Amino acid sequence: MKRLVLLFGIGLLLVALVKEGLRKRASQVPVTTSGQVEMCLSCHQERPEKVHSREVIGCSPCHGGDPLRIDKHLAHRGLIKNPADLRVVDYTCGAPSCHPEMPERVKKSLMATNRGIINTLRRYWGEIPENPRFREEDDVAVLLNEKSVSSLALDYFRKLCGSCHLWFEKGKFPDFLGEKGGGCVACHLVPGPKEAKHPRLTRKIPIQNCVRCHNRSGRIGLTYQGLYEDEGYGTPYIEGDFGEPFLVDGRFVREIPADVHFKAGLVCIDCHLAEETMGDGKAYTHFEESVEIECVTCHGGDGTTRKGRKVSGVKKQGNQLVFITKIDAKVLPLKAPDALKCRHKVHRRLSCQACHASRVPQCFGCHVRRDPRQTQLDKISGQETPGAWEEFRSYQRLEEPTLGLKGDKIVILVPG
Amino acid sequence: MKFQPRSWVSWGLAASFLLTILTGLVISYPFREEMPLLSTVGIEGVIPFGALFRYLHYYAAQFTFLFLFWHTTEALWARSYQRRHFFHWFLLTSTYPLTILALFTGYIVRGDETGLSAGRIAENLILTLPFFGKILNRLFFAVSEEGIHRAYITHIFLSFVLFFLLGIWHFRLRKIKLEDLSLWATGALALSLLWPPPLEAPHFQTSLKGPWFFLGIQELLRYLPPFGAGIIFPLIPIILLVFFPRAPKRAGWGLLLWHLFYFALLGRGLLR
Repeated sequence: MKRLVLLFGIGLLLVALVKEGLRKRASQVPVTTSGQVEMCLSCHQERPEKVHSREVIGCSPCHGGDPLRIDKHLAHRGLIKNPADLRVVDYTCGAPSCHPEMPERVKKSLMATNRGIINTLRRYWGEIPENPRFREEDDVAVLLNEKSVSSLALDYFRKLCGSCHLWFEKGKFPDFLGEKGGGCVACHLVPGPKEAKHPRLTRKIPIQNCVRCHNRSGRIGLTYQGLYEDEGYGTPYIEGDFGEPFLVDGRFVREIPADVHFKAGLVCIDCHLAEETMGDGKAYTHFEESVEIECVTCHGGDGTTRKGRKVSGVKKQGNQLVFITKIDAKVLPLKAPDALKCRHKVHRRLSCQACHASRVPQCFGCHVRRDPRQTQLDKISGQETPGAWEEFRSYQRLEEPTLGLKGDKIVILVPG
Repeated sequence: MKFQPRSWVSWGLAASFLLTILTGLVISYPFREEMPLLSTVGIEGVIPFGALFRYLHYYAAQFTFLFLFWHTTEALWARSYQRRHFFHWFLLTSTYPLTILALFTGYIVRGDETGLSAGRIAENLILTLPFFGKILNRLFFAVSEEGIHRAYITHIFLSFVLFFLLGIWHFRLRKIKLEDLSLWATGALALSLLWPPPLEAPHFQTSLKGPWFFLGIQELLRYLPPFGAGIIFPLIPIILLVFFPRAPKRAGWGLLLWHLFYFALLGRGLLR
């Protein structure tokens, strides 16, 4: 027996020696500038942008894993592909030494909760009372933990709207859906140079990142850039191919005059503050409660929003207020509203858009149909579940908007 | 026939202890106490065969502790205290907590999250001891002032002193067989290949676990003040062990109950 054990020992020793011979060893122990041991750096050559540079931060504070190990199977235990995912963000981006205040704020923001969409949908469909009060349960985070779906409106939301929120897992779904979501990186990620082998994180969020979601309903992201989602089905066909550009999800668009701000080089984040997009720590039901920028903040105002926060782009140069764009630091003069036209007493109830929005896309006759015999992907749970929804519309047009009353104010009405 | 401590357990203990000393000698060369974690990671990831020797050292030390526990239990069962003078019994039983201390300081010196936290906890616990707290802390830990220096000295000195004194006085060092040494080296090697010993990186943990055998005390610290959980409670089995010859039945029951309670705490701590 003892001999057998000893033979087994010799066999094991041989295995250990061969394993040791084949083992990849580092030439030295890599250490970040903060003195953190990061063995990951001995294999991985990825180079994120300067702020999150490998020499300063390393890999593991964001991507987890075991930075003390060199063996791949040990080093990659607990690895996180997307550290910005809201499920892990408390420990990654939201670590005490990084952005600790952000996860809580972002999770309360409308882009994470979709509270406005859920609340309005359920209200319109008669599932909840008319009174549009704040409801804690109207939140994607709550739906993520729901075992079964007992509401038609929620089933509709899960299948047709469920990919436009920050809880959506980046890369989990195929095609264009794979690009969406991902928590912080839904907005803050841009492709890096090929040799860097790592995308870049940025505060200069390009419009494409916003329009990945903000392209339906009011279609603000498209109209702003001078794109109109039309029903031409790609006609006229040219040389056997579609004559119109189309979006990643297959919808055809036609070029129309872009918004004046877009032409001037402004993107969404030039006007929309961090508190609007990432939340200000308060949980709102509707986006109009969250949005604080107004036209008069910059045009006629000093850059202070209706909630008293400063728009960072508005600066004083000499005696004049100017706007400095975030992406390329362009200096633009800020024009005050025409004193005669805009301040005239007969126009005092008009919202700026009532005159300045010369055309808006309007979608009429919206109908949905649910076929219980088919299945459809529930984008919240990631499961194919019974019931497939289909959307129909009677017609769509690009026209001067209809004006209507909201309280005392004359505003534009955009059926979407 | 009267029960005797089994020789394979006794020699397993001696062989594991010797294996721990030998592998410890090898890894002490590349180890730098001024940069403990860096050198531990270097031993594992840079030095040829470093990982193998570190893993063997870890598992041989675990064997030593487990064999010591088993051997002590058998010695009590066999009433070995009856054949010894009380003073000798006292000296012998005092090697039990000292061996645990040598093992515990081994965790501290690797300088990872578990080790450093264990060191800080131990330091704060021992400082709650009136009069001797400061002296004992200076002697064994003092991690907040000197990093792992004291713990490293304790680890090395204590291991050598315990092994060689016991080798002279309690067992015959030269009687350790190569066969036993190879057998337990094989066991340690098998475990090393299957489960590389832990090394905790400082990320993402919201709660830290100390060395596995310390988790019972760590768990008790949730319910009792540090002096009760970290000093009084661990002192109970040591006192019972020392005074076992005076009241074997009561001390035996005391030890049994203490260990049952401790294993329950340990289980709870492991499951957290």
